[in-house]
This record gives sequence, structure tokens and C-alpha cells, in this order.
Amino acid sequence: MAVEIGGIGQSVKRKEDARFIRGRGNYVDDVKLPGMLYLDIARSPYAHARIKSIDTSKALAIPGVLAVITGKDLVPLKLEWMPTLMSDRQMVLPTDTVLYQAQEVAAVVATERYIAADGVAAIEVDYEPLPVVVDPIKALQPGATLVREDREQKDNHIWHWEVGDKAGTDKAFKDAEVVVKQDIYIPRIHVSSIETCGMVASFDKINGKLTVWMTTQAPHAIRTVIALVAGHLGLSEERIRVISPDIGGGFGGKVPVYPGYVLAIGASVLTGHPVKWIEDRSENIQADSFARDYHITAELAAKKDGTMQALRVKTVADHGAFDAAANPSKYPAGLFHIITGSYPFTKSFVEVDGAYTNKPPGGIAYRCSFRVTEAAFTIERLVDVLALEIKKDPAELRMQNFIPPTAFPYTSSLGWEYDSGDYGRALKLAMDKIGYAELRKEQAAKRAKGELMGIGISSFTEIVGAGPSKHFDILGIKMFDSCEIRVHPTGKAMVRLGVKSQGQGHETTFAQIVAEELGLPVGDIAVEEGDTDTAPYGLGTYASRSTPVAGGATAIAARKIREKAKLIAAHLLEASPDDIEWKDYKFQVKGVPAKSKTMQEVAFAAYTNHPQGMEAGLEAVDYYDPPNLTFPFGSYICVVDIDRGTGEVKVRRFVAVDDCGTIINPMIVEGQIHGGLTMGLAPALYEQINYDDDGNIQGGNFMDYLLPTAMETPSWETAKTTTPSPHHPIGAKGVGESATVGAPAAIANAVVDALAHLGVRHIDIPITPWKVQKILKEKGVAE
Amino acid sequence: MRFEGTLDIAAPRDRVWSFLTDPTQVTTCAPDVQSLDVSDPHHFKVVVRAGVGPIKGTFSMNVQFLELERPKHAAVLARGQAPGSAVQMVSNMDLSEFDDTHTVMEWSSEVTVSGMIQQVGARLMQGAADKITQQLFACIKTKLEASVPI
Repeated sequence: MAVEIGGIGQSVKRKEDARFIRGRGNYVDDVKLPGMLYLDIARSPYAHARIKSIDTSKALAIPGVLAVITGKDLVPLKLEWMPTLMSDRQMVLPTDTVLYQAQEVAAVVATERYIAADGVAAIEVDYEPLPVVVDPIKALQPGATLVREDREQKDNHIWHWEVGDKAGTDKAFKDAEVVVKQDIYIPRIHVSSIETCGMVASFDKINGKLTVWMTTQAPHAIRTVIALVAGHLGLSEERIRVISPDIGGGFGGKVPVYPGYVLAIGASVLTGHPVKWIEDRSENIQADSFARDYHITAELAAKKDGTMQALRVKTVADHGAFDAAANPSKYPAGLFHIITGSYPFTKSFVEVDGAYTNKPPGGIAYRCSFRVTEAAFTIERLVDVLALEIKKDPAELRMQNFIPPTAFPYTSSLGWEYDSGDYGRALKLAMDKIGYAELRKEQAAKRAKGELMGIGISSFTEIVGAGPSKHFDILGIKMFDSCEIRVHPTGKAMVRLGVKSQGQGHETTFAQIVAEELGLPVGDIAVEEGDTDTAPYGLGTYASRSTPVAGGATAIAARKIREKAKLIAAHLLEASPDDIEWKDYKFQVKGVPAKSKTMQEVAFAAYTNHPQGMEAGLEAVDYYDPPNLTFPFGSYICVVDIDRGTGEVKVRRFVAVDDCGTIINPMIVEGQIHGGLTMGLAPALYEQINYDDDGNIQGGNFMDYLLPTAMETPSWETAKTTTPSPHHPIGAKGVGESATVGAPAAIANAVVDALAHLGVRHIDIPITPWKVQKILKEKGVAE
Repeated sequence: MRFEGTLDIAAPRDRVWSFLTDPTQVTTCAPDVQSLDVSDPHHFKVVVRAGVGPIKGTFSMNVQFLELERPKHAAVLARGQAPGSAVQMVSNMDLSEFDDTHTVMEWSSEVTVSGMIQQVGARLMQGAADKITQQLFACIKTKLEASVPI
């Protein structure tokens, strides 16, 4: 029966793939409207410069160029600045100073894409270069070059944020038997989604209605932002329609509002024509929100036997020229204070200082809830540093310290209430699967021969599903999410959601939740998202929140329908509702299985034969405000071999044990984990965006920014444990980001483990062959 | 990036000085000059076409003599822009007399490149700079060492 329905726990094939594998997806760049114009953007070659003049005459002389927009043109419209999601503001176009390389300087609107690009090349800007600051630690020193002259505060400090018991933590460190301390830099990286950002804006001058197709993970929030930013120009929210069509990967990079979006809308309002703006690859990497860029100093206090006691973390967060992250308002450093991880520290203190630099703005969460990768990497690295210090096996040290399964719900020393977990079981499974004891023997034998092999563990705890309205909002909008279900007379259903898939498979998984709750076959349930004119309001998809939040809304909306359906079934079966039970996906008269009605029969009756006095129809809406976050976890073990000649790190094996609570579709979850692991491998070994002292980007294209391909990616081995969330309607926790969060530390720990006997304690990621070879030479073991 | 070197020129120092500090003469040796506009003895504007690897552009360069100590020392600031790229160059030149007919030029140049050329062409920059420098100096030598001024 269950297989036929395709409910929870079934590996139902992805419904959306029928169009994707045929090349029939509908992305923003596929939208073509009559009379559509094209927009291209001129960008600053300097990281910091005064604009002395902009000469647009040559661009305007090109046949087909209709308009050139500069910052000065936006001043009368009050559009030269826009708010960010973090109570900061960001230039749409500069009026006098550019603050980072590739910043938008002017926009050209033309009849063709190529003419727009020619127009951009013909714009002459006279810049006066200014001193540049790219290092956030230098930026915070007195006398540093001031990035933001527009602020009242005349330094580069954005905010200070702290949490925990400072005095108690300091005391614990003073009294501790063992203290380890490690500086860790989590480098700036980029989501590099295959589809870049873009928009088609179409303003209907007669009706005053604006329709935009755009690459956004949060279409409803964007609609509200447009109304807030441009409301004074007559764009009011009921006349704004945001459509987020198929998206080719978001990973957090498609949450913020970029200047190009504002310019495309402005150009459409100005010309009365639809306007298309699509970034090219280099613009995407160079100017769109980056991720990470945290300079961390972490300390751990423990007893000599390894019992962990206290954690103290100090961090400088580089936000570039504008704080354009997309964190919940209350948490400028995201959920970084999940940094106590899987361990019961009794005292902890975390402080973060945000800094401006002459680098592109952002600080978005790249597939890591909010700053959870930074946290998980730090604690899992630090545990290994402690293991080295007290000469204890890192697996044993973890097992000794894990929060025990009996302690849940567990309140961490930094205030989170972990819903459920069984960390020892996950690590044990990973150790059994990889053959941990054998590997240690092999390592010892290889070391004796001079070969370099390492084993690395990461037993991370995630925090996702933002979030409960008492703590979580973005721009004041609470982080609930929503689902609307309509069951049609023929027993088919339409499900609309406030979230928005970017490849996660929502059309399948949400249909499975409804199938499970209503007993309708998954194939009869259509899921639609991303159109603000039809879908209920929601905050969108990021931070692994779709299943924890919208998934809860879906289950509850379906249960509301089932409640009403039960009354209709009772009416049809001529029984009291109290005598009706939901069993085997049918309503039955208790104890009389022969007397039953299917949901399809009930749905038909809801429109043709509903009880008098009851509303007709079979629909429900739910806005779900989760009572708590969810805390997925896992244990990963990685085995690496290091080439003593080239310094190359080869991942020989990687076992990932994940626990994301109830699994809706095992095949999709496995796919999510494979992708996430690859995105965790990437920053561990390859990816980094660097800047030279002049603020020139060093990784602004795929020649220099190394994305792993199938050639570099090892064969992942996955396994699972299942510890349902006690507070979630179906027990699900979310899994989209676990692997990205957990993998980097396992790989880095494995490399350090391979070199630990030579005195190596830490290597900052990405661990490139160059870095490793330098260490091998220093230690005299290079071949 | 810093570039520097020494060049022996078989010509008297005064003649070398006059050539190198006269915009109309020295730009005859610059690569692919499109136009020259001398505003005053200390400032001129020259438009050149230059490329680094696959990226080619027309650079509009504003050049300013920062120091002129005839006949031995000069310092020049050049700032230029092409679409999406920018270059700034501070160059120093010291001339000493080897003898009446030979001049030794010691030169250095501090070059800052930003934008597209830096991002895409960084790996090719050294090679491109070496090539331009060689061509420039070969031309200067040829012209100054010719028995009849060219």
C-alpha cells in the first residue's frame, strides 16, 4: 500500500527531473518577452577610488543604446542606496566613491545584449585611486583607511556581538589542567551556482503593475523589499508580482538583493519595456555575496583525562564594504554559537566583531544554515588539537565527551535547546563501516616506512530550520513558513508553498508528505512554488529550513484537511465522527473495515454532497511557526594519502553517517549528501577567493577559483541513523547542509593526522599541494 | 609589480635626456600609439593599444612628470584606463655619463594593475611586460644611436 501512495520513506523518483533531464526547465534566462531590452553593468576596476567624472556620451552614441544610468540619475529617485537585510545599506550605484573591485558603476540599456556590452565598454570613468584595506584585522586598527565615509561612525567596525558567560569561562580557563588554543582562518569562498543571478523586469505602465522573474530563494520577502525600497515611486505591494522560476542552484547566494535587480526594475519603469539582466560568470564570482571569511581564535579548556570543560572563541568577521549578509536580525553572526557542537561544555563564551574592508559585500551562509560551517569546523578541528595535546585517540576523545542520548532535550551553555541526538551511535557506525581500528594499524605500519596516511573524524551537530518567531525574523518578518493545499473534486491536489526549490526536489518531497497524510497517490499531487500571486507568504528556502518549517506547515495543513474529511466521511458512512478512524490511508468505521471511504470519495463529496451546515470544498492553509530549531548531526571519517613528492592530498575513503531524523525520500537525501560532501571537499582542498594588497580579486574566474569536478571527487560512502525530532510534525530535521558543514573538518583533520608525527598541529584550508609541500620540505620529508 | 633594469645607450647624455623627456619623441617608441595630446611641459595624454594575453584594450594614459632634474633624473606618473581595467605606473630614470658618447640609464617602474586584466591576465602579466619593455628599449636605442637622428 505504502509503495503505491509514495508516502514518507519511499525513494520516489523526482517529478521535476522529467523536464530537467530533457533540457525543458524554465530558468530566468529562458523568459523572453516582446520588446524586451537588455541591461549590462559597467564595473569598477579599482577597489577604492573617487569617481571624478563619468562620460556616457560615446556609449549613448552607439545605435541601439537607449539609456545609461549612473548614480547621479538615481539620486532624485532616492534609489542610489538600498537597505541590506542586516540593517546596513548598500550602494545601488555610487555617486562619488567606489568601495570594491567590480562594484556596479553604471548601467546600459540597449536593444540587444551585445550592444549593451559595447555600451559598457564605451563608458569613460575618470577615477582617482584611494588607499585600500583588504585585511579585516588591519581594518580594525586605529588609523586604518576608512571604508565607509557615509557612516557617522568613522571607523571600520560594524558591530560587536557576544554570547555566553564571560567571567565563568575565564575562570574555568584559569583553573583548567589543559588549555589548547588555535588560530583558524575560514577563507572567503563563493557559492558558484551553475546558474548566475538575473532578472526580467516588466512594468505595465497602464496598470502600474510590476512583474519580475528572478533568481531568488525568497520571492515573497523580495516582493516586500521591493515595496519598501520603491514604494515611494508608486510600486505598491499588491501590484508587484515576483516569480521565481526554475533555479540552477542557490546555496544562499540567491537570498540577497543585488544592485542589478534594482537597476533592471528601474530600467523597465523608465522605458516601459521589459528589461533583462543576466550576470556573466565573472560578475557572479567577483561581485555577488561571498561566504565565510572568518578569522577565528579558539581555545578549549579540559581536564588531563580529556574531559572538556570550557570553550572561548574570538572572531573577526570580514563583511566587505557593506554588511549584506542574510542572517536573522537578532544574530549578526548567524548561529555561530552552535560552536559547542556535540560536547557538553559547562562554560562557553563567544564574541564576534564585524569589519568593513574594500572587498565585495556579503557574508551569506553558503549551504550552512547560518555560519554553522565556521562553527563546526572550528570545534571539530579544536577537538583534534586537544587529542594531540593529551595524546589520546580522537575517536576515543569524542566518545568520552559526547552529550549522552539521555540528556536530550539538552540546553547548551550558549543557550540552544538541542531537540534530539545520539552522537555515539553515529560515530560507532562510521568507525565500523570504515574499519577504524584496522586503519590505525595500517597507518602505523605506513609511518614506519615513511609513508603519509591520515584518518580524520568530524562529529558535527547542525542547527537548522529557522525559526521560532520569538527569536527569528528577517527585516522584522517572522521566520514562519506556509503551505496551502486544495483537494480538487476528482481527488487530485494542488499544494502551494512559501518556500522555493533550487534543485532540492520539493515537487516530489512535499507531495510525499501530503500523500502520506491524505492517502492520495504522490502522482496526483502537484506542488507549486515561487509565484507570489498564487503561493502563500513564506520566507523562502535556505538554511535547510524547507522541511523543518514548510514541511511542518504541509503536514499540519494536510491534517486540517483530514479533520474536515473525517466529518464528511462520517456523513457518507452514516456514522458518528467519533466512530471513524484513519487507517491504511482510508476512513473506516471502527472495527468494520468493509465500511470505508477513500480520500478521493470524500473529496468528491466535499463538492457534490457535503453535509448541510458545513462549508463546501476541501482546502486548508497553515502558517507554521516552529516551536524550536532542529539539530541534525552526523559523524564523518575520512582517510587521506599524501604524495611526498607533489604534496597532493588524495581522499582515499570517506564515510558519512548522517542523522536528519525522519527521512521523506531516501534517494533525494542521499543525493543531497553527495552534493554537500563535494561542496565540503571544495573549500577543504581547493576553493578560496583571495585579494592582493590593491584589492584585486585573485579568484574571479574558474581558471583561478578551483571547483572540484568528477575527477577530484572521491566515491562517497553513506550511511544513516534515524533520531526523529520530537517537536516536528513528521519528525524530520532537514539535511540540505549537513554534509557541507561536516565534511571540511574531517578532511582537514585527516591531513593534519597524516603529518601530526612531524609536529604539525594545524593547516588552514584550503590545503593545497603547495601548502603541504612547503611543510614536507620544512620537515625534511619531501621526496 | 616592480620592474627595473639598466640600459647602455651609445649617445651623449643631453641627447638621451632630450629624447626621453619630450613626449612627441618618446611616444614614437611606445606600442601602437593612437593619439598624443601634450597639454603643458609637465603633462600629456597618450592613447595606446595594449594587450595581456587574450585581453586587449585601448588605454588612455594620463602622464605627468613628477620630477625633472635635467639632465640626470626624472620621475613620471602614468595613470591609464581601458574598459574594466586600470593601470598606474610610477617610473624613475637616472642618467649617468659613461663617457662623452655613452650614457647609462638606470630605470625602475612600480606598476599597479587592476580590473579585468589583473583578474584574467595575472599569469601572463610578466611576459607581456617584458615584451613591451624590450620593444620600447630596442626602439629607444635604435633611434638614439643612429648617426642621423631618426
